[in-house]
Amino acid sequence: MADGTNNDPRLAVEISGIRFNNPVIGASGTFGYGLEFADLIDLNRLGGFATKGLSARPLPGNPPPRIVETHGGMLNAIGLQNIGARAFVEEKLPLLARYDTRIIANVFGYSDDEYIEAITILNDGDGIAAYELNISCPNVKEGGIVIGNSPTAAARLTEKAKLASSRPLIVKLSPNVTDIAILARAIVDAGADCISLINTIVGMSIDVNTRKPRLSYGTGGLSGPAIRPIAVRMVHEVARAVDVPLIGIGGIASAADALEFIIAGATAIQIGTANYYDPTVTMKVIDGLTAHCESHHIATIKGLIGSLE
Amino acid sequence: MIETIATADSNRELAPGYRLLTLDLKEDVPVRAGQFAMLKPHASLEPLLRRALAVYRVHSPRRISFLYQVLGRGTEALARVENGGAVEALLPLGNSWPDAIGANQRVIVVAGGIGSASVFMLCEKLASTGVDTQLLFGARSEPTAIGCGLEDFRALGLPLTLTTDDGSLGEQGFVTGALERELLRSGRPRSTIYACGPWVMMKRVAEIAVQFEARCFVSLEAPMGCGFGVCVGCVVAVKTRGTNEYGSYKRVCTDGSIFPAESIRWEVDPIAH
Repeated sequence: MADGTNNDPRLAVEISGIRFNNPVIGASGTFGYGLEFADLIDLNRLGGFATKGLSARPLPGNPPPRIVETHGGMLNAIGLQNIGARAFVEEKLPLLARYDTRIIANVFGYSDDEYIEAITILNDGDGIAAYELNISCPNVKEGGIVIGNSPTAAARLTEKAKLASSRPLIVKLSPNVTDIAILARAIVDAGADCISLINTIVGMSIDVNTRKPRLSYGTGGLSGPAIRPIAVRMVHEVARAVDVPLIGIGGIASAADALEFIIAGATAIQIGTANYYDPTVTMKVIDGLTAHCESHHIATIKGLIGSLE
Repeated sequence: MIETIATADSNRELAPGYRLLTLDLKEDVPVRAGQFAMLKPHASLEPLLRRALAVYRVHSPRRISFLYQVLGRGTEALARVENGGAVEALLPLGNSWPDAIGANQRVIVVAGGIGSASVFMLCEKLASTGVDTQLLFGARSEPTAIGCGLEDFRALGLPLTLTTDDGSLGEQGFVTGALERELLRSGRPRSTIYACGPWVMMKRVAEIAVQFEARCFVSLEAPMGCGFGVCVGCVVAVKTRGTNEYGSYKRVCTDGSIFPAESIRWEVDPIAH
């Protein structure tokens, strides 16, 4: 495994003044607090990772069953179980300080005030590069998707979060809307520095023997390769609608998958579900992007962003 | 914890629906009794997620076996792995069976169905250390008992009580009935019970343990996304002070898979609901 000294400068990208050694970021909810991967990959080679959604206070999450596999993907209804923003600042950040990677703190609340409270706590933490506002989680009854479905509510929260934040603000969009470009424009007008998309798509799986939903929550968020074409299309739509950097998310498991998003308009990408079935996938994607640059004589991957012909 | 591509040395059927997969590893992997691995055929995206299987036997640090029941898409895919086939493996995962503590300690191991896979190494250890052990082995029928490794368990030489639901082998009835009789017969004040089997069986084992004031440890299973603690998909409800009506949760993969039975909220089944 390579160490932090061999980062390929061709892969470096920048988002809101933050330099990422490469565009490969572990997606929130699939990367824990980063440390869980320390034995499996070289965190110093990672472009960055987004933490599990952090709320002002710890959350227990939904009752089990919480996940079910589907064809080409999985449904989850974890319900944002997390240790809370304060514990992240005090217990996890000091352990992460030894790694040279960009830490994006994903933030969640059940009301605008709770989002702001979490951001205020995280402002005390050292080593956080940016915040990612989770306005798109489909697995909680309040907050999350309710805000994410309304351009007005999303813009209002973005404005408040931007004011409260001491760091660049990424807003993570829900795909569960009629027109994602309208939402993206509202959020950018409200001050978002960057948009990440897409979060999971609301889905359902039923046990035909018990005639009950397979998830205790009923519905869940669909992720994995099955949603990738939808995500690529939405990144393309949003790239044409706004003028801030985008982070593409949705079923990425290879360098080719990542390149689709970059060509569609993403500056960086996040890898989610693939981390579960291949914990070293981020390293493979970085290696694959380097190989692509070599074989196509690409001087910098930045030149590929939004290069769809 | 090692992420590797292993080679299938054999993958044979022991009984209809029950198989034994033996993997050759590229490096030494220290495995403790009760630990598990996440496995899937190499380079296959159907199914997407790896499946958690208990390590059944360690033949050498580079050669281990998994006893499994073919139940769904994941285990069906594993069943199709041919000799020499490549298997993606993450291991060893989870905690291990704690030692029995105290003078004159006596042990009862309860193996229910394919739950036998999780307790075989424990039984090997108990047999080699001479701890006073009773093995209670329950299966649906004679073929399933064979499929769950009955002959391997017999070869250990531990005192064994066998039950089958249909009475085709051993005593007819549930293994929990045998556990009650064993505790009544021996009046064991310092028994430690180790159990692995279906949720409903372990729930009853936990009740019996309370009734007879025995220490009891259970190995749990739950649908797992990752196996190493990041997805938080495999939780069980535990009896600690919580913040919602279900109490708090622990991850089967990294907080377990082995838990003290009294810590579990048995009314919240992590698989069915």
